[in-house]
Amino acid sequence: MDTVTEKKKSRKKSGVRHALTVLLFISPALIPLFVFWVYPILRSVWLSFTDWDFMTPQYHVIWFKNYSSLFKDSRFYEALWNTLVFTAGTLFPTMIGGLGLALLLRKHFRGNGFFKFVLFSPWITPTVAISIVWTWIFREDGGLANLVLSLFGLPQLKWISSSETAMLSVIIVTVWKSLGYAMIFYLSALEKVPEELYEASALDGAKPWRQFLDMTLPGISPTTFFLMIITMVNSLQAYDQIQILTQGGPSGSTRTLLYLYYQLGFQEFKMGQAASVAVIMIILTVLLSLVQFLASRKWVHY
Amino acid sequence: MKQTGNRIKQVFRFGILAVVSIFTAFPFLWMILSALKTKEEVMDVSAFFPAVPQWSNFISILVDSPLPGYIANSLLVSVVTVALQIVTGAMLAYAIVFFEFKGRKALFTLIMGTYMLPVAATYIPSYIILSRWGMLDTFRGLVISSTVSIFGIFLLRQSFMQVPKGLVEAARMDGGSHFRILWEIICPMTKSSFITFGLMSFISTYNNYMWPSLITRSSEKYLVSQGLRSFLIEGGAYGTEWALVMAGSAVIVVPLLVLFAFTQKWFINGIGGDTGIKG
Repeated sequence: MDTVTEKKKSRKKSGVRHALTVLLFISPALIPLFVFWVYPILRSVWLSFTDWDFMTPQYHVIWFKNYSSLFKDSRFYEALWNTLVFTAGTLFPTMIGGLGLALLLRKHFRGNGFFKFVLFSPWITPTVAISIVWTWIFREDGGLANLVLSLFGLPQLKWISSSETAMLSVIIVTVWKSLGYAMIFYLSALEKVPEELYEASALDGAKPWRQFLDMTLPGISPTTFFLMIITMVNSLQAYDQIQILTQGGPSGSTRTLLYLYYQLGFQEFKMGQAASVAVIMIILTVLLSLVQFLASRKWVHY
Repeated sequence: MKQTGNRIKQVFRFGILAVVSIFTAFPFLWMILSALKTKEEVMDVSAFFPAVPQWSNFISILVDSPLPGYIANSLLVSVVTVALQIVTGAMLAYAIVFFEFKGRKALFTLIMGTYMLPVAATYIPSYIILSRWGMLDTFRGLVISSTVSIFGIFLLRQSFMQVPKGLVEAARMDGGSHFRILWEIICPMTKSSFITFGLMSFISTYNNYMWPSLITRSSEKYLVSQGLRSFLIEGGAYGTEWALVMAGSAVIVVPLLVLFAFTQKWFINGIGGDTGIKG
């Protein structure tokens, strides 16, 4: 009897010890994660139901008024549309370009490493610094971009100073910066497609194009899926390049949801309104990820 | 016949890569060329190269501008942040991979789920927390609000899973504490992911813009991105000092390119190494 209870006791004791060890190992990350991630997100949801203006400590709970006034505001629809255009406009060129470059760089040849270095380099430099350089390149008269257009006999563009081309300019800078990142992921994904597969099908007389469609694309589909999510999330959160190149203008043509959030919250101090934009961004992110996730079951092969 | 076909293919491939690389590198070259021009040359379309390289532009950036101070700020903040992120990330990844406990899977799912959410959605409440703690406009506030890198947890977990579990069990039998096992056995074995994580986190903290610019007010606490932006507004876009602004950008960009040149393999092998969605 005695020994049994003692064993139970010691097991209990070691259970407590184990729990403490687990706690010790997870809390250094978990506490900050809760304080600066989980709590703020929940708090944002709450704030979106209030009319808090940041200056006064009091606020009223107004429930869905922020949302309903947002849904009446043409700025919101414009920002939503801009966000979708920007996301699609950066997502597809980045993925297709990254894959294309990875295919070209797959086989080892002289200069291979140098190309990788150059193509990846924009990704490690500060977006602010390179956006400043691009501002200079997009200058209307005498900018490099227009110089290049005139070399090819093309009409000059106003780039970031016209609402018609500003979004295109921001997309160009973003794709320029993220191409190398997608390329790196695709390079290692391509390495994992077994060589024997290609050899076997080459013996069967398969054309390279068919090989690409039947073996390469399915083989790298998990990476494609992963990159789609990552690039999409990054695009939804793009701020630096917009802030430097256009500040959301001209006339709101590059104001994305995130930029609207910034303007409402940190320029106009309408915290409740801004929080409601944040909540809509969260919902949009979750929805888009969910769509991709459900679709991925059809085309991702693990 | 086949040989010439291959040759053409090679030339073709090389050609495309060269064109894309020139397009990619050109903004950097243009930045350096513009940085070496005089005030007049930089506005002149026809002057592609500077007649006489104006190295003095760089001297005035390094000596007379506040940019070196911003670089020091960025270095300080990112080194401390990286160190903290490595410790918190390694411990959490260790717990998730080597401990058995209730809610382990749920914990990991929660953490990964957070990764996808727009970080900006946390900014208003995080700002309020820092202001309540009196940490606005301090490096402490900047560091304390980014002590965890979800990307890092993910990366380290991926590589910890490659370590055979028996190894940890054997070390436990020998009486090693979990702390010692993590730092003396696991860490050396997965060194390369630690280096990749460290570099990635360094770069992103060093370059970070939106969050630091929201919580720092006084200019002596600016990180490089914010500092460069204020330099642009004071001296460049609305003035005529474009050559200086380009020199300032170059002073910040070139050291990063040099760092990258020496650490390339950690980025290229480490980032793509395992996308890990197979879980």
